[in-house]
Amino acid sequence: MKETFHGLKKAFSLLVTCSVILAGCSSAGQPQTKSQDGQGVAGKGGTLVIAAPMEPDTLDTQLSTWVDDANMRMYDNLLARDASGKIVPHLAEKYSVSEDGKVWTFNLRKDVKYHSGEPMTAEHIKKSIERFVAISPNKSLIGPLVKVEAPDPYTVKITMSEPYAPFLSTVSDFMGALDPTRLDKLGDKFGDDPSGTGPLIFKEKVRGASVSYKVNKEYRWSPEFAENKGEPYLDEVMFRFIKDDDTKMLEFKKGTIQVFQQVPPHFVKELESMPGVGIAKNLDIGIQYLGFNNKNPMFQDVRVRQAIAMAVDRDPIVQYAMNGLAKPVFGPLPPTIPGYSEKVENIAKEMYARDVAKSKQLLAEAGWTDTNGDGILDKDGKPFSPELLVAGEPVLQQIAQILQSQLKEVGIDLRINVTDLQTLRDRATKANHDMALLMYGLADPDILYLMFGKGNSRRLHYENAELEPLLVKGRQTTDVNERLQAYEAVGEFLVKESPWVPLYSKEVVTAYRDVEGFKTSTSTGIIFQDIKLIKK
Amino acid sequence: MQKYLLKRFVSLLGTLLGVSILVFLMVHMIPGDPVRYIMGEYATDEAINAMKVQLGLDQPLIVQYFDFLARFIQGDLGTSLMTGITVWEEIVNRFPITFQLACYSVILGSVLGVLMGVIAAVKQNTLLDRFIIMFSLIGISAPGFWIALFLIWVFAYKLGWFPISGYEGFFSLVLPAVTLSLLSIGNIARMTRSSMLDVIKQDYMRTAEAKGAPSLSRVFSHGLQNAIIPVITLIGIQFGSLLAGAVITETVFALPGIGNFAIEAISKRDIPTVQGVVLFMAMIYTVVNLTIDIVYSFVDPRIRYE
Repeated sequence: MKETFHGLKKAFSLLVTCSVILAGCSSAGQPQTKSQDGQGVAGKGGTLVIAAPMEPDTLDTQLSTWVDDANMRMYDNLLARDASGKIVPHLAEKYSVSEDGKVWTFNLRKDVKYHSGEPMTAEHIKKSIERFVAISPNKSLIGPLVKVEAPDPYTVKITMSEPYAPFLSTVSDFMGALDPTRLDKLGDKFGDDPSGTGPLIFKEKVRGASVSYKVNKEYRWSPEFAENKGEPYLDEVMFRFIKDDDTKMLEFKKGTIQVFQQVPPHFVKELESMPGVGIAKNLDIGIQYLGFNNKNPMFQDVRVRQAIAMAVDRDPIVQYAMNGLAKPVFGPLPPTIPGYSEKVENIAKEMYARDVAKSKQLLAEAGWTDTNGDGILDKDGKPFSPELLVAGEPVLQQIAQILQSQLKEVGIDLRINVTDLQTLRDRATKANHDMALLMYGLADPDILYLMFGKGNSRRLHYENAELEPLLVKGRQTTDVNERLQAYEAVGEFLVKESPWVPLYSKEVVTAYRDVEGFKTSTSTGIIFQDIKLIKK
Repeated sequence: MQKYLLKRFVSLLGTLLGVSILVFLMVHMIPGDPVRYIMGEYATDEAINAMKVQLGLDQPLIVQYFDFLARFIQGDLGTSLMTGITVWEEIVNRFPITFQLACYSVILGSVLGVLMGVIAAVKQNTLLDRFIIMFSLIGISAPGFWIALFLIWVFAYKLGWFPISGYEGFFSLVLPAVTLSLLSIGNIARMTRSSMLDVIKQDYMRTAEAKGAPSLSRVFSHGLQNAIIPVITLIGIQFGSLLAGAVITETVFALPGIGNFAIEAISKRDIPTVQGVVLFMAMIYTVVNLTIDIVYSFVDPRIRYE
């Protein structure tokens, strides 16, 4: 069960992948914390120990689909996002895009140095980006890139064959500087001894157990949201990969771990009541959804899809299965990412507020009625009894049961099939299923192109000739307001067509203790620069 | 003896060959696409296919199997698709932890288990006997993760005698070894007890008593030496399976052992890693079994391999 749970998280790798850690958030952690007994002084030095949710496959983030604090903080990106998800300067002081939206120019900071002491230049950025394009599993996120140029040591010019708006998101999540000397020396094995310009310096990894870093004391080029502009306080940071949640909890309570990332919902109450423990909650950039196999004849009729959306009540799912640590979502995008529109969300909310009578009526119009009086709708002698694929995570199984009882009320007999995540994904990708409980997320609205664009719809199998130009417009419009409007059109279309039922965005919970100045958010990650350990 | 060893060795190779076919078929038959996993959710189909060609996963199964076998014979267990680290390197890093853990828990389990079994048999139907049976039953039936968490809570969290989790040398392995040995103690104690009870009823035991042999020597050299054979088999099986890694214990104590590694590889559909690790485990298991069979002949002179 545990394994599947972790597998599951990985599955959402893209979510985590791209966005990673990084997208908007609802609240950052409280900066002030006292140690458990209220004693102790915050000061310089010490090792911060973090229980991370999963061990990254490799520390070479260009090769990994799992990118989070545990492996990406040796590197800086050209741009960053602040806690609200807004894009801010980082390695690039400023950037501009040409009139036709095809040429991006980044002006670099001049004071950035690698861990080795070598100054960073535009050539290095070019080299890193070219490597990303050549080898990264996420390379498609960079868009229709034609060439990268370094006209002078502090300018990077990137040319696209057509306008590609999500590029800014990719730049703030992936595009940074890898140590060029190491790259030459290690090549594909860069992950064995990685180095960059970031706040953490690689020290040691123990496969299956931990990764340790030294804190980069020379680091003076934090993005503007870090308060400490001088030398960082911490000496070292260690990420531990403990799979068992109970073990993690005991380590945290004992104080041997100061930061507990992705706290499971059922622990949150207990931690909130513990003195000296701070809790940061950040709304995820992903959406959990009930997905139809839109190639399946059962779901060809839009009325059936709409009826199922109307039969679902998100409140018990959020309250009971998620312990209140989620926000119901009705529209295609969560409020945490650019492109989210309140207007679309409200339309969806109005259309799909739970309405059993209307749902039944729509199903009847589509030809599904209960002719034999067994309480299950049927059509042409076949009962409406779709199979729902669910991964083994207990929370998801609970949600499946809630959905089962809600759909029962409109006469649909949901057959729950709990399977491991790889099997689930395999069947969903091959369209060899009826329904599946899945998740998607990316820090950019282009996620909708990746979910529904031509040739991309591998989970929902929903493509539409009317939708395609709307999605393409969204990814090609670099003006922020015009882009938002483009996604409103996409959103309205999708809400009407209902190719899936969005359920909620979860709160990502981080617990911390014995630290001062601790802040984290889905878009910034942990801000190591500001953290002081409290010594007792 | 030599002929026997040769025969056993050949059958060991046969077993491994069988295991290799089974593992190979299983990892290739179960649903789930490792390439999709490496490439991430939104990789295009062309990119996926290109990667499959690069990894040789587009070849017919039979070709892939012989390729895998050929490399295995040359000592190459394969390279992880996910991490790019060779399976052998991972095993070299992780097996020592699993090995130590297995040794400590088997030693603890056999010493205490045999002792308790003997005591229970000699003191049959007394309160002590009942207590030992009860204890064994608890050891066998309590779920491993529960025992593990209970021990952590008492001895690491409350008393602070041991680290809660992780591996930093011998002390980190005490609680996991105790957790694992509880199961062995239960099994071994019960087996020893019933085997001893059979032996105690034998004529030669009465003879020994009649000729006035001291009771300790009677129990151990006359009794236990005859009763120990099935117990050794059991200890061997326990040791073999412990060497394949104790997944739950390793998970709860966050030990980077081999069991944890295998499970992770399976959940990620890391084909070469699963194949390599399972074959390695099968090898260990069969070698341990062979060793146990040889040990019999030393313990019991009646057993001779010709």
